[in-house]
Amino acid sequence: MRLTAITAAFALTATAAFAADKTLDIGVSDALTGGGAVYGLPQANAVNLAAKEINASGGIKVGDDTYMLKVIAYDDKANPTEASNAVRKLIDRDGVKYILGFCCSGATGAVASFIENEDAVMLVGNAAERSITTREIPNLTRTRPPADYTGAAAGTFVAEKGHKRVAVLGALDVGFYASYVDAFEKELNKAGGEIVSREAFGLKDRDMSPQLTKIRGQDPDAILVVGYVEPAAFIYRQAVELGIDVPRYGFTSGSEEQFLRVATSEQMEGVWDLRPTELTLLSASENGKAYHANYSAEFGIAPSPSSPYAYDQTYALKDAIEAAGTVEDTQAVAVALRELSVPDEVVMQYLPVDEKMFDVNGQAYTSNGAFQWQSGNWVFIQDLPSDAAAYSAFLSTID
Amino acid sequence: MLTVSDLRVSYGPIEVIHGIDIEVGEGECVALIGANGAGKSSTLKAICGLVPASAGIITFEGRDITNQSGHAIVKAGITMCPEGRQVFPQMTTLQNLRMGAYTRTDADQASDVDEMMDMFPILRDRANQAAGTLSGGEQEMLAIGRALMARPKLCIFDEPSLGLAPKIVAEVGATIQRIKEMGKTILLVEQNSAMALRLADRAYLFEAGEIVLSGTGTELQSHPDVAKAYLGH
Amino acid sequence: MVEVIQQIINGVAIGGVYVLIALGLTTVFGILGIAHFAHGSVSMFGGYLTFFFVTGWGFSLLLAILVSLLVGMVLGVLIELLAYRPVRDANHINAFIVALGLTMMVEGLNLEFFGHEQVVIPTNLSRVFNIGGVTIPELRLYVIIAAALLVLAMTLFVEKTKTGQAIRAVAENRDAAILMGVNVNTIPLVVFAISTALGVCAGVMVGSLFAIAPGIGEGLVVKGFAVLILGGLGSIPGAVVGGLVLGITEALAAGFISSAYKDVIAFVVMISVLLFRPQGLMGKA
Repeated sequence: MRLTAITAAFALTATAAFAADKTLDIGVSDALTGGGAVYGLPQANAVNLAAKEINASGGIKVGDDTYMLKVIAYDDKANPTEASNAVRKLIDRDGVKYILGFCCSGATGAVASFIENEDAVMLVGNAAERSITTREIPNLTRTRPPADYTGAAAGTFVAEKGHKRVAVLGALDVGFYASYVDAFEKELNKAGGEIVSREAFGLKDRDMSPQLTKIRGQDPDAILVVGYVEPAAFIYRQAVELGIDVPRYGFTSGSEEQFLRVATSEQMEGVWDLRPTELTLLSASENGKAYHANYSAEFGIAPSPSSPYAYDQTYALKDAIEAAGTVEDTQAVAVALRELSVPDEVVMQYLPVDEKMFDVNGQAYTSNGAFQWQSGNWVFIQDLPSDAAAYSAFLSTID
Repeated sequence: MLTVSDLRVSYGPIEVIHGIDIEVGEGECVALIGANGAGKSSTLKAICGLVPASAGIITFEGRDITNQSGHAIVKAGITMCPEGRQVFPQMTTLQNLRMGAYTRTDADQASDVDEMMDMFPILRDRANQAAGTLSGGEQEMLAIGRALMARPKLCIFDEPSLGLAPKIVAEVGATIQRIKEMGKTILLVEQNSAMALRLADRAYLFEAGEIVLSGTGTELQSHPDVAKAYLGH
Repeated sequence: MVEVIQQIINGVAIGGVYVLIALGLTTVFGILGIAHFAHGSVSMFGGYLTFFFVTGWGFSLLLAILVSLLVGMVLGVLIELLAYRPVRDANHINAFIVALGLTMMVEGLNLEFFGHEQVVIPTNLSRVFNIGGVTIPELRLYVIIAAALLVLAMTLFVEKTKTGQAIRAVAENRDAAILMGVNVNTIPLVVFAISTALGVCAGVMVGSLFAIAPGIGEGLVVKGFAVLILGGLGSIPGAVVGGLVLGITEALAAGFISSAYKDVIAFVVMISVLLFRPQGLMGKA
C-alpha cells in the first residue's frame, strides 16, 4: 500500500491556494497495482481529478464553511484482505469518513460486509457483483449497475440479432461474470435461443485456443466473451487465428488502447461490447468529452471507460454533503445520497429510479449500450433494451 | 619425471597419508601395492588434483603441480584411468574415447580413435553403444583406451583389475604390458600384487599411510614380508 | 479429426515453450544438482528486456532478441558465480534456499524495472495459415520452428562439440570428467549462459504469443519442473518429450474434458506416468 504521489501534489496546491478553508479528507481504496489495476488505477485518478475540479470551483460548502478535498489513496490490489486493511487504516488512522473507489468485487464485498457498523460512507465504483447492493446497507451506494442487469439487456439484444446458438467463453469462476451469463441465457432462451457451450478461463490464462477450438467444433452462430480485458483481448485475437468468423459479442469494458496492446485493429474489427454505456467519445455527453480531455491532460493517458464511476461518486458525495449540511454526520450524508437527484457534473448516463440517482438499495443504473469495434475505435451503435425500474424492483426482492 | 616428496593428505581432521616419497622415472613402470585402505588411491588422487595435499610437494617434469586443479594436471600430461573404470555410462563408446582427447587440439584425434579400436577390437563392435551397457571387461578396455587418448606422458592406473573375472584380469595385465612396451611411463596401483610386481620395474609397499618398503619389482616379489602378506605364499 | 489435429497444434506451441524452459532446468540440474527455481523469472526478464528494446529503444525484433540473449547470458553467468558457486560444496538445502531467494529477487527486479502491467511484445506477425481447416497463426508457426531449431542446435552442441560433450561428461561423472581434463569451474558458467539463453528465448515466445506479467515466470517454472519429472531428471530428450506431452495434454484436456481443470488434468497425467515409470518417460531406471 502506498500514498500516491499525485495525492500529495493535489493536497499541496489545494491548501496553498485556500489557506483559510477547512480540509475534508476522503479515502480511496482501489487496486493500484496487480491484475485489477486496469480498473482501479483510473478510478483513483478520476477521484483525484474530481477533487481537484471541486476544489478549483470553490470546494464543498457546508453552512458557512468551505471544505477543500484531500484524497488519501491506498492500494488494495483487488484483494479482500488488503482492502479490509486499507479501509481500517483510512477510518482508524486517517480519520476518514468517506471512502470511494472499489473497482473489484471480491475486495469490495469484504469491505461491504463490515462497513454498516462504521461511522463512514462507502461509495462503490466499478465492482459489478450483484450481492453488494442486495444487503440494503444504508451507508453504501454504487454507481455501476450489477452485471446481470446488463446481462439481461445483452441477451435480449443478441436474441434480436437472430442468433440461436451462442457459445460462451468466460471467467465463469468470477461471480458477477457468471451472473451476467445467467441473465443473458434467460433472455436468450425466452427468444428460443440457447447457449451451446460454456467454456471457462482463469484470470492468468492467455492461451484460450483449446477452448476456442472446441467452440469452433460446435459451429455456433455467435460467441460471447465475458471476462477481464486482458484475457478477453487474447480470445478475440485467437478466435481470428482459429478462423472463427461468427459475430463476437463480449462484456469486457476495455479501452481501445488496452485491446490494441494484444490484438490488431483488424483482429478486433466487428467485435461487440455489450455493457453499461460508460465512457466512449462517440456516445459521450458534453461532460464526457470534457472529462476525457481533462483526464488525458492531467494523467497523460486516456481514461478507461469505467473510470467515470469513481468520478461521478465524488460529485454525488459533494452534492449529498451539501444537501445534508454536515461533514460530521455520516448517517445524514448517507440518507442524502439515497435522496439525491443525478448531479449535473456526472459523466455516465444514469437512468434515475423515482427521479433519484440511487434506488432504495443504494444502486444507480446507467443505460446499457451496444458498442462495436470499427476501424480502431469502439463505436456506440445503440442503447440496449434496459429497464432500470423493473430491475430495481427485482433487486429489492433479493436478500 | 614425477617426484612426490613428503606428501600428506587429510580428509577433514583425519590424516590418511603421513608423508611419503615416490619417484617415477621416464619410461618406468612403478607399482604401488598394499592392503585396502593403505593410502594408495589417496596418493593417486592427490597427484591428479582430485583431493588436496595438506603438505608436501609434487613435481612433474620439474614443474610444481601440487594442488593444481585437475584439468591443469591433465594438460601437464598426467592421465588417470580411475578405479571402477568410471566410463560415462550414457555416452557411447566412441564419445567416451573422444572425451579422452578433451584437452587435445591437434588433428590426429580421429586416427588415435582408430588406433585404440585396433588395440581393443571389441570397442569397434561397441562403438555406438552406450558405455554403461558394456561388460566390466569391455568397460575396463574402454577406460584404458580413453586414458591413452589424452596421449599422456604419465599414465596412472588405479586398480585396473578390480572386480574383473580372472580371464579378463590376465587380459588387462597383457594390455598394460603392451602400453609399457609402447614406452609410456606408468604408475600402477593394484591389489593384485602378483600381477603388479610382474609388470613393475620398481614398486612401493604401502601400509597405513606410509611407505614401508620399496625396490625393484623382482626384489619385492622375493621379499619375505611381501610374499607372506600379499602374494599368498 | 480436424479438431484433434487443431488441439495438438495448439498444444505444440506452448509445449515448445515448456521444452525450452525444461531444457535449461535440466542441464543446470544435470551439472550442478540444483533446482534453479529462478529460471522462470529470469526468462521473463529476458522477455521484458526484448519488449523494452523494441518499444523503448526502437530496436528491430531480431536485434532486440539478440541483445536480450547476450544480456541474459551474462546474467546467467553472474547468477552461477555470485549465487550458486558459493554454496556449491555446502549442504543441498543451501542451494535450494539460494534458489528461492533468487526467484524473489528477480521477480522483484522485474516488478521494479518493468511494472505490474502485462506486456505483449509487438511482432506484427498476424497472418494465419489454413491447411484443410486446421489453422496455424504465423507467429505460432515461427515459435514452433524456432523451438525446434533451438532443440536441434542444443542437441548438436551437446553431441558434437567438445564443450557439449564435457557438459554431458560432468553431468554423468564429475570426477571422471576432471580426469579427462575438463575444467569443472568453467563448465557451470557455460551451462548457465546456455540455459539462460534458452530461457530468454522462451520468455520472448511467451511475451509475443501471450503476455508477460508478474507471476507468469513462477507458473512457468513449475510447469518446467513438471516436465523434468515427466521426462526424467537431467535428460535432454526427456525435456523435449515431456514438454510436448505436457503442452499437448493441456490442450486436449481443455478441449475435450474441461477447460476449468486443464492444469489439474495435466498434473494427473504426470502422476499417472510416474506411477508406471518412476524414472520418467526417458529417464534411465
